[in-house]
Amino acid sequence: MSDAIRHRLTPLERAERRLGFAMLAPAFLLLAAVVLYPIAELIRNSFHFNHLAQPWMGTPFVGFENYVKALGDDRFHEAVLHTVLYILVTVPGAVVIGLGLALLANQPFRVKWPVRLGLLLPWALPLVFAGLIFRWFFEYNQGIANAMLRGLGLEPLNWLTSPGLAFFAICLAIIWKSSSFVALVLLAGLQTIPKSFYEAAEVDGATKWQQFREITLPMLRPAIFVALIFRTITAIQTFDIPYAMTNGGPGNSTETLAMYIHKTTVDFLDLGYGSALAVLMFLVSAVITSVYLRHTRRDPGRH
Amino acid sequence: MSLLRNRRVLIILAGLIVAANGFFPALWILFTSFKTEVELMRVPITIIPQAPTIENYIRVFVDQPILRFLFNSVVVAVLSTLLCVTCSALAAYALVRLRLPGAGVILSVLLAIAMFPLISMMVPLFQVMRDLGLLNTWWALIFPHAVLSMPVCTLVLISFFQDIPRDLENAAMIDGCTRLGALWHVVIPLTAPGVFTAGILAFVNSWDEFLLALTLSPRVASRTLPVGITLYQGEFSFPWPIISAALIVAIVPICIVIAIFQERVVSGLTSGGVKG
Repeated sequence: MSDAIRHRLTPLERAERRLGFAMLAPAFLLLAAVVLYPIAELIRNSFHFNHLAQPWMGTPFVGFENYVKALGDDRFHEAVLHTVLYILVTVPGAVVIGLGLALLANQPFRVKWPVRLGLLLPWALPLVFAGLIFRWFFEYNQGIANAMLRGLGLEPLNWLTSPGLAFFAICLAIIWKSSSFVALVLLAGLQTIPKSFYEAAEVDGATKWQQFREITLPMLRPAIFVALIFRTITAIQTFDIPYAMTNGGPGNSTETLAMYIHKTTVDFLDLGYGSALAVLMFLVSAVITSVYLRHTRRDPGRH
Repeated sequence: MSLLRNRRVLIILAGLIVAANGFFPALWILFTSFKTEVELMRVPITIIPQAPTIENYIRVFVDQPILRFLFNSVVVAVLSTLLCVTCSALAAYALVRLRLPGAGVILSVLLAIAMFPLISMMVPLFQVMRDLGLLNTWWALIFPHAVLSMPVCTLVLISFFQDIPRDLENAAMIDGCTRLGALWHVVIPLTAPGVFTAGILAFVNSWDEFLLALTLSPRVASRTLPVGITLYQGEFSFPWPIISAALIVAIVPICIVIAIFQERVVSGLTSGGVKG
């Protein structure tokens, strides 16, 4: 630390500091009201019995009972498993497709807007709408998927009512919806790679594939990392698309953790148990968020 | 010469693939929305409507309070955007300019809190809003939606504020402006593109949000577009032609916003990620 920082603050600097904290106040008041207080309530709830359908039971303190219940709850285990499967399929899937789209979009187009809008539209579309549209694609009689199968002379499939196919259809919808945001992030990364690198490689006789392996991929690594983290944080909370496409069915075969928490609280009215599940969820996502924040730590005051 | 022409063709092909990937689902829904119920029963399916009809659009507006949904969505999105951008701009300016001790840590804390998963906040927010009597009102969504976009807005505004030279503000303050006056009269006008970008991102995030809108504002008259359309039930089955028309009605406003401000949106979306 330099002396310039250690020296006593002048009245002007002290006034600036006070003003600075005052300007941070609205943001943090809002965060306290909408996030911190509810999270405190959530944690408190998770240690209590609180079932809106059994109001005569009151809301007694039950310690870790809700968490212990989760250990033996098969439907919870399945929901976790489904969520993990969605993450394992859709996060790498969206990054690979997104990289493909970014490479295709990184060309010297004369007219730029169709490509830019082609990448922005899936991002701007509400997730549930993407879910509804893909539900329509996989509809038995009128869906495009079965129309193509019929065109190939094959039997149409019950896409959304058989577990494996429903999972596949939902993954496809999620990958379509999220890959364009990944593509935008990666495209910005691609545009920071100096052209001279490729020219030098060309002179040395490197093939296109070698250039991709040795220049593009390593230079893109930070952007790919950011895209992976962002996608993972949102994939943990997967809710809208399966809700719109199958509502977790058939059975509970496509139900995610977020959907199970929603059902437990809103449909089954078991606030205590739902809260315990939500606490478990935010612990997991807090770990991933902290990885992201550590990676992007910066000092806004120094430029 | 033919090689050159081939290259042009390949480039155009690449662009077509990207554009088709993005536009295809919306176009398909657009075609569906002009088809009659009878045409939608036909196998093999048709692509272009054979006998285009606006019947579905009429029914969207007559059968369901879609204008009400639209109005709710607009009010929630506009007010939450104003709240979010105001809070984010004040915080970003304080972090960039006012030499706060530990500005980096404060920013990390702000981002960490604002990135809590929505599903975890859903249950307690439901209770809080119920206790306050705010369920099924716009306010139940405006406050949470403002937080939803706070990370991206703060990061975008920080990167824009950092590019404004201190001297400009100092000059304004020598002329008798206060700090807040300098922010309002000098910094904000100069960073208008950044403020605008932050605003559009916040608007789209609020417009698209589903889970909280579903939980905190479930009554028909207070539903936003995503909830209203998803919970739209026909008499017998899911009425696809009408749903398609409703989707188009809901998608068009956001498409116009995106089309007009496409460059700003792209720069805003990527500045948060890539500069890190």
